[in-house]
Amino acid sequence: MDISRMSNTKKLSLCRIYFFAGFACLPFMWAVNAIWFLREAFFKPPYPEQKQMKRYVVISGIGSLLWLVAVIAWCVVFSLKRSEWGEVADKLSFIIPKGVP
Amino acid sequence: MDGHVSIEDHSVEDGSRTRNSGAAKEPRATNPSDNDPSTPMAAEGAGGPTPQPPPGRRPLTEEERAARLEQRRQRDREHMERQLEEEEELVLKYGAQHVIKLFIPVSLCMLVVVATVASVTFYSEKGIYLLYTPFHETSDSVAKNVMGAFVNAFIILALVVVLTFFLILLYKFRCYKIIHGWLIISSLLLLFFFTLLYLMELLRGYNIGLDWITVSLIVWNFGVMGMVCIHWQGPLRLQQAYLIFVASLMSLMFIKYLPEYTVWVVLAVISVWGEYTVWVVLAVISVWDLVAVLCPKGPLRILVETAQERNEPIFPALIYSSNILYSSLTMAESSTPSTSTTDNGGSHDGGEAVADPLQQDHHAPAPAGGVGRPTISTAPSSSRRRRSSEAEAGFGPEWEAGRQQREAARQRRVAEHGEASAPDVAGGGGAQQPQEEEDEEERGVKLGLGDFIFYSVLVGKASSYGDWNTTIACFIAILIGLCLTLIMLAIFKKALPALPISITFGLIFYFATSYFVVPFAENLASEQVFI
Repeated sequence: MDISRMSNTKKLSLCRIYFFAGFACLPFMWAVNAIWFLREAFFKPPYPEQKQMKRYVVISGIGSLLWLVAVIAWCVVFSLKRSEWGEVADKLSFIIPKGVP
Repeated sequence: MDGHVSIEDHSVEDGSRTRNSGAAKEPRATNPSDNDPSTPMAAEGAGGPTPQPPPGRRPLTEEERAARLEQRRQRDREHMERQLEEEEELVLKYGAQHVIKLFIPVSLCMLVVVATVASVTFYSEKGIYLLYTPFHETSDSVAKNVMGAFVNAFIILALVVVLTFFLILLYKFRCYKIIHGWLIISSLLLLFFFTLLYLMELLRGYNIGLDWITVSLIVWNFGVMGMVCIHWQGPLRLQQAYLIFVASLMSLMFIKYLPEYTVWVVLAVISVWGEYTVWVVLAVISVWDLVAVLCPKGPLRILVETAQERNEPIFPALIYSSNILYSSLTMAESSTPSTSTTDNGGSHDGGEAVADPLQQDHHAPAPAGGVGRPTISTAPSSSRRRRSSEAEAGFGPEWEAGRQQREAARQRRVAEHGEASAPDVAGGGGAQQPQEEEDEEERGVKLGLGDFIFYSVLVGKASSYGDWNTTIACFIAILIGLCLTLIMLAIFKKALPALPISITFGLIFYFATSYFVVPFAENLASEQVFI
């Protein structure tokens, strides 16, 4: 979709839908929301719906960043401690890499 | 069936629209200021008396009135001619631009497939086959394998034909819900399950460990975002990227699950002859494509014409659009905003917009600024749909289902998509809307996702033999074929199958390269002769 051709209310509702959908463990959706509407919310001449859009974009951006940090932290911890955790780690693993850890 | 290429040409509609509105406006504009010529015109037919001129104006003589009328007609005609010329130029000009816009996604798709085939051995391993190809090329005799390959190919072709007709029947009887449900289940399967498999093989290939939590998070996000982008609304680039990815996934499935010799190392010599099925299937399919699209009684043509009659948009998820179509009207199918154009250009081809699907996806706003008719069209390109897996042996006949849908979508898309008057379809509301709202449409080029898939299958298969010369030769052959197809599209302005030319070139180049060029180059290199 080309949002430059959409009406402002439609843009706002799209932003809002993406925002609320992102609460279902969907940081990717938040990231897309933030990036897609960034220009609309911050670098365009103001229009009435922009204030709310700014809020959504900012919260989406922060949310996705937090998720990213959390996921990276967990991945690092898991890959470092996988061999130590033994059986639990095996149950959790999707792919167990070959070779000596 | 797969390759449909069509150009959406809204400029003609725009032109006709402006023409009409211009023509409509003129008499209206002149009426209030120029009562004298108009009323006598109306009265001429009836032979009524000359009306009283408004005070302060002297009555025009008959000759002056006639001259004025003649002038106006002349102006209109010139205006129309000029517009027609402009439009014709534009069609060809944009044809070239859109060719480039299609090159990028096709190349990307092939790149993904080749990269995966080269790095992840899973897709080159044989072992499990589709239920529909019972001949697994395990015999020692070349002739038997060829026969087996042909039989496999014809079984698959028969399946595709049957499913295509089934889809056409569904479409004709307006069972849209079934088709939609089918498409959604297919894309769900594709986006979640096959992505999971792909991720698994990728990780295994690179020996990276991941846990279930992370994997499920990744796949969940990826899948949901994909569904939203493809079937609903999302950023254009993202939609296009998803469509390319989905097409690559399908290609990889084909490369893996069509039969080949299973024992590579032992039967090294015979493996040169082994992959007949893939090649035969490709050849047969391109012939079918030609027949189905161009024959008057072909099923796809029926689809196209039905879609034309009904002025309906094409299903999303089956085509990749190089531009997005924007419509202020909502369509019956929520995910398919169609372009509303007037039907003034009824005689012209109109519909052929060639874009590409799945996707899609995508892109840049109209280059038509110079003409003053900026149009942006959003055609939802969508991924291929697949049916839920049925075959015990593997992934079942999804690809056939996908193909029909692709064909169907292609057909419809190709057809009078541009001509479709969305107001009619959308349930009436649009009729009231002024034509000027629809100025936001751009010509886009659409290419069926099936085309992506088969191009990628060809290149992927070529690359699975490990020889880069062959791979690159096939890649270039396909691009040349695509170029030619698009040129023909610009000339003929009709829906065209995109497969035959490209696949023919690809096959010729593949066999020529692998049997002539490669040994030649090797010999030259070994003798240190450089040309």
